[in-house]
Amino acid sequence: MKKNKGMIVAFLTPAVVIFLIVFLYPIIRTVMMSLYKIDSVTDAMDLWEFVGLGNFQKLFSTAIFKTAMYNILKIWAIGGVIVMTLSLLFAVILTSGIRGKKFFRAIIYLPNIVSAVALATMWLQYVYSSKFGLLKSFFEALGLKSLAATPWLDTAHKFWALLFAYCFGMVGYHMLIWMSGIERISPELYEAATIDGANIVQKFRYITLPLLKGVFKTNITMWTVSSAAFFVWSQLFSNVTADKSTLVPVQYMYMHTFGAGNAVTDRNAGYGAAIGIILSLCVVLIFTICNKLLKDDDLEL
Amino acid sequence: MAGKNMKEKKKREKINWKKELKLTPGYLIILIWVIFTFMLLGWILAASLSTTSDIFAGNTLKFPSGLHFENYAKAWGSSNVATFFSNSLVYSLISCTLLILICAPAAYVLSRFKFIANKVIQTGFVSAMGVPITMIVLPLFGVVANLGILNNVLATKGVLILLYVGINIPYTTIFLLTFFSNISRTYEEAAAIDGCPPMKTFWRIMFPMAQSGIVTVTIFNFINIWNEYFLSLIFANSDELRPVAVGLYGMLQSMQYTGNWAGMFAAVVIVFLPTFILYIFLSEKIISGITGGIKG
Repeated sequence: MKKNKGMIVAFLTPAVVIFLIVFLYPIIRTVMMSLYKIDSVTDAMDLWEFVGLGNFQKLFSTAIFKTAMYNILKIWAIGGVIVMTLSLLFAVILTSGIRGKKFFRAIIYLPNIVSAVALATMWLQYVYSSKFGLLKSFFEALGLKSLAATPWLDTAHKFWALLFAYCFGMVGYHMLIWMSGIERISPELYEAATIDGANIVQKFRYITLPLLKGVFKTNITMWTVSSAAFFVWSQLFSNVTADKSTLVPVQYMYMHTFGAGNAVTDRNAGYGAAIGIILSLCVVLIFTICNKLLKDDDLEL
Repeated sequence: MAGKNMKEKKKREKINWKKELKLTPGYLIILIWVIFTFMLLGWILAASLSTTSDIFAGNTLKFPSGLHFENYAKAWGSSNVATFFSNSLVYSLISCTLLILICAPAAYVLSRFKFIANKVIQTGFVSAMGVPITMIVLPLFGVVANLGILNNVLATKGVLILLYVGINIPYTTIFLLTFFSNISRTYEEAAAIDGCPPMKTFWRIMFPMAQSGIVTVTIFNFINIWNEYFLSLIFANSDELRPVAVGLYGMLQSMQYTGNWAGMFAAVVIVFLPTFILYIFLSEKIISGITGGIKG
């Protein structure tokens, strides 16, 4: 064991030291920063002015921040329902014994490996284009003139355009998680159910769904973590720096601390830190609720 | 070999129509989605080889004036794409190598030895995977800005690589940890009996044995770092430093004034081509890596 001690230290030190620098130190400092008014991120600590929970109070009384929170909540909830439903549906279909499963699976996952900037550009400049867009030509081909003329990227439609484009990219990843869960369910259960005369829907309702509780939890956690980091899509869908219909907290924080933003009058890095805390708390809260609600996991796979 | 192929062919030819008919709605749903994906990517590819006027005339898929490969040459040469591309390549390759050199030993030690800090480190890494980037970016920027190196191109590149490595350490370590725990201990025991010191045993025996896990996690890291946006946006403050994702965003902004749509689509293709090619060859490995890393 003595020999091993040297090895343990030597092998762990680089990883742990970088981890402490990149994660632990910044987390602690962000918690502290959220309680101060700080003119610039680069200010030394003695220039900070303690305001307690003032930053949080101020944020929640700022209309534009509330809009941003409301937007991300909508993306999380509505997008979550869409993505979870579609990805589960695809996973069930692909594991039902259809041909070309590997090929379909690879194509559905494909958008996940494409840079979000590139993917969002494809949607913005092609699918939703009012001049040569996919939706425009599709509806024109069907003879639906009024639908074809819809300005998908105007204020009224933009949020939904953004949400659907984002969901399209996310379905593949969550489908893979569902599939891994479904494939671990013993085929004997289905055989037994078939002998007992259960149809496809019954098998799904009474075998697949209950056994996927754990996988569902994984899916929700992953979805929540990616929602908390939601940023690129909003930035690309905003023509102006603050577009109320697509503004999200990370974007608000970015404008507040780093960029020039027309929505920001007083610079305060403390707000940025507070936004980080609020998002983290949301993730923890959702994670805890999920664990409470989906606790009885006696059916270990 | 030939016999096996014949057998498979026979199996394939025998179609159970009743079963296939039952699955028709499923096929339809999947096909619609897959065709849409193909149309999206196919059209972008076609547009990148077309001209702006053809795109606007709705003739993107007809190529009335032939294929315009010069869009790529132009995008590559004129709008800094070459710089962005080589930056991304340098960042991704160096970070991926460092990640393996740092995380593989750590993962191995965590998977093999019992010590007090082991559980703490593992819990720390797992929790870190759920920490929003907004929670760490402000102090990191403060520290780097105060070091006064953001004007120095080489130093800033170093900082970016350190950050890419840092944010991917938890995931890479946990992934490899699972991998190492599945390798039998008998190899190390045999090596110990032969008098091989443990560190040498790791690099000579265990590290090569973990090769397939290392390859998988490296593909993931490569894709993640290639596509990373938020940190690059904040820390890479000049075109000399920008990776493709941020560079493309800048080009999109300026494209609104130049109106070169075909060139912009060519740039989009250049940005996603590297990960796309990786995916064509390695999609099975990537997919099994995702599902393997997930515990229900």
